[in-house]
Amino acid sequence: MMPNVPAVLPFGLIMGAVGSTAELSGVELGALNILVFAGASQLVAVDLLMRDVPSTVIVITGVVINLRMILYSVSLSEVLKGSSLPVKTLGSYLLTDQAYAVYTANSNQLNSRDEKVAFYIGAGLCMSFFWQFFVLIGFIFGNFLPSSLNLDFAVPLSFIALAMPTLKNKKYYYVALVSSICSILFYELPYNLGLLVSGAIAMIFGSFLLRSKK
Amino acid sequence: MKYEGIWFVILGLALGTFVIRSTFIYLSSRIKISERFKEIFSLIPAAIFPALVVPMTFYHKGTNEIFFYKERFIVLIIATIVCYKYKSVFITIISGLIILYVMS
Repeated sequence: MMPNVPAVLPFGLIMGAVGSTAELSGVELGALNILVFAGASQLVAVDLLMRDVPSTVIVITGVVINLRMILYSVSLSEVLKGSSLPVKTLGSYLLTDQAYAVYTANSNQLNSRDEKVAFYIGAGLCMSFFWQFFVLIGFIFGNFLPSSLNLDFAVPLSFIALAMPTLKNKKYYYVALVSSICSILFYELPYNLGLLVSGAIAMIFGSFLLRSKK
Repeated sequence: MKYEGIWFVILGLALGTFVIRSTFIYLSSRIKISERFKEIFSLIPAAIFPALVVPMTFYHKGTNEIFFYKERFIVLIIATIVCYKYKSVFITIISGLIILYVMS
């Protein structure tokens, strides 16, 4: 389970540092971290807050970023099928890119369904602990780092690292390319609509691409 | 409190994200999701993340400068190649930050 720590460390530190740059209070950052518990959407939400984007737009944008979790949720639903409601609820809450990645990397070695559930919940709890811990460290020490280090650039970098393992073959690279080009073309659309429009076009393009055999 | 809408954002995002995370897990014993849908869902990260990071870096200095100040975008492309090669979150972030620091 330890292999996921290096993935959470920079991400958590950045979240904490961004929170302190944005001058969020400890309670606000804590609530964001515990209630939302989804780093990528949190980082974007704080960035949009700083740019005075309307709250509704921020929520929609964050939700769109987290749509990818449907994929993990569908895959985990087969494992959690027989579990009790509290375990399903906890399992849902703990669903993150990193917990899912660690679980899928090890699921072949787990024999029974109970073992799989236990491993997944354990990985998720471990993840959540380190996440909260590193965010706190970033929040406390973020202010001391010089701005010449361009730490905010770590945000797009960490998103690249999140997306990369999901690109299974050439078709996924084409989808990423279409999304990139659209996002440059539609940048000036109001209300951050560029993201939604680009994402939608890339999804439609991708679903046609998947249908074609090659 | 610096931002007026912050609690709306926190609670809205928390609720929306939990619905995304939990719906299929709660319904797991009742519905069956087709392979075709799973395949389409698997496109989401490839469709969303580039649309986030490309404008963030390409328009880092605003939209007036189309050809200059693209160092962040260039470093992002380099970092993408690094990430493809090493498959490591840590190496990707550290190398990207170092290259940007050296370039600027």
